[in-house]
Amino acid sequence: MKPLSPSRRRAIGLIVLLCLAAIWQLLSMIYPAEAQPGEPMIAGWQVIFTKTLLSLSDYWQGGLGVRSVAEGASRGYAAACLTLIVNSAITLARVLGGLAIGTLLGMIGGLAVSWSSWGRRIVNLPMQFLRTLPLLAMVPLFQLWFGTNLFGQIAFTAYGVSVIVFAGTVNAVANIPAIFIDNARSLGASQSQIYRSVILPGILPGMRSTILLALGTAWSAVLGAEYLGAQSGLGYIIVYAQQFAYLDRMFLVALVILVFAAVFYTLFDRATRKLLAWAPQTSRREIAR
Amino acid sequence: MANAVQDIQIRHLSRRFTRADGQTVTALDDLSVTIKAGEFVCLVGPSGCGKTTLLQMLAGLLRQSSGEIEAQGKPVLRPGPERGVVFQKDSVFPWMRVIDNVEYGLKCRGVSKGERRERALHYLERVGLMQVAQAWPKELSGGMLKRVAIATVFANGAEILMLDEPFGALDYVTRHQLHDVLLDLWLDGEGGRRRTVIFVTHDVDEALILADRILVFHSGRMVEDLAVTLPKPRSADDLVLPELVNHRHRLLQHMGLIRPAAAKPGQ
Repeated sequence: MKPLSPSRRRAIGLIVLLCLAAIWQLLSMIYPAEAQPGEPMIAGWQVIFTKTLLSLSDYWQGGLGVRSVAEGASRGYAAACLTLIVNSAITLARVLGGLAIGTLLGMIGGLAVSWSSWGRRIVNLPMQFLRTLPLLAMVPLFQLWFGTNLFGQIAFTAYGVSVIVFAGTVNAVANIPAIFIDNARSLGASQSQIYRSVILPGILPGMRSTILLALGTAWSAVLGAEYLGAQSGLGYIIVYAQQFAYLDRMFLVALVILVFAAVFYTLFDRATRKLLAWAPQTSRREIAR
Repeated sequence: MANAVQDIQIRHLSRRFTRADGQTVTALDDLSVTIKAGEFVCLVGPSGCGKTTLLQMLAGLLRQSSGEIEAQGKPVLRPGPERGVVFQKDSVFPWMRVIDNVEYGLKCRGVSKGERRERALHYLERVGLMQVAQAWPKELSGGMLKRVAIATVFANGAEILMLDEPFGALDYVTRHQLHDVLLDLWLDGEGGRRRTVIFVTHDVDEALILADRILVFHSGRMVEDLAVTLPKPRSADDLVLPELVNHRHRLLQHMGLIRPAAAKPGQ
């Protein structure tokens, strides 16, 4: 298939998104059932961006010159937007903090273990267990260990991310073709020189896909932690809305998360493209998947 | 004038592998041979005859089961920059530009930036790749990648050069162009001294065009040691000269492609 120009691809992406939005709107019109009076199961866009958005001002606890609903103010877009901004910032701090710490720890651990074949053999079995252990099973344990505060949530997210990054790093090192290491050795490179000039650049394509995978995990871990015990953040709004069957709020917050995830992906893609300028197109296409 | 210390001495060298089914396979069986400094030696034989195993042991990438290898007066225990290898598969690092690949070995050994760049550019010019010095390897053809690999080992100053079926995957024209490049570099070593070249191939004609000496292997044993005296450089045209025709006949016999009883055409 002929590759499309970037502007062409972007146009197609936009059209697909608009179509999905239109289908949603259509569904809301042909299925007008309500979970409770005034709460449609599928909220159309005219509801989402007016009543739903306004209702988020209920979560605003005052400050910054905008009075909260509890203080007697009526619902307003300023309080609603502040709610979204503040809770997004809290969630993003958890995601980014967990992602950064988890990636760092996972990568350092993976590289250290890969130094010798014995290291790889020793961690192989426990690593398989950790990978298959459902992340959410660990939430209560982490809450008791580290508390339901920011530190605890970041520790939990970092754990989830580091397991994936660790396994991905060990895998990426093992997947470097032996011929490159033989070549470096026969040209006179020492073990530490091979690590710097062959292993580190050689794992970059693998690390890129691993970190994209970990990005998804970080979001899941943070939302999981917020569902179970947090008093703020986007996940908290969703769980709170669920208790009162506010389906439209849940949908709006999910949309906000979707936007953040898309922005993360795009930024990461841009940032790493230059680092991987050397990689053949085929392997880069694999990565994008 | 041959300096025995510069020679490669191989004594009673064997290598055995244990297969997955528990059987022991002897890839190389009690080989003793001396390769003189400056010689261009081709190792020929069908696949599985032990020639690549021998090369890997000479390179220090594979340990022998028994016996000794001595190169430049020292036992071979590990890879070293004095013994350069051009591999069968592509070994050029895809994450380094061409020029950085050629400089790599020098950089590892702490050669200054200016000097290694000069050497790298010199050898890139010798293999005809000046114009792609700043390109990524993915932008190069298979033949060009082999040239980069050759320039890399020459720039690295290897005294002994080992090539493992380097041109097997290339087309006829590219292969002959690279023969010329290789011979040109071999004839014109640094300080007027020829390097030792050990060239593994299963292509009989390639061996006849390149070698001073052809060692024929079969089932892990050296079965023939042929000297080729025709002056170099030789071309594909020279393959019809009597010496090469005779050698060719012998080589093909060893490979089981001519039955010993069959009469040679025209004789």
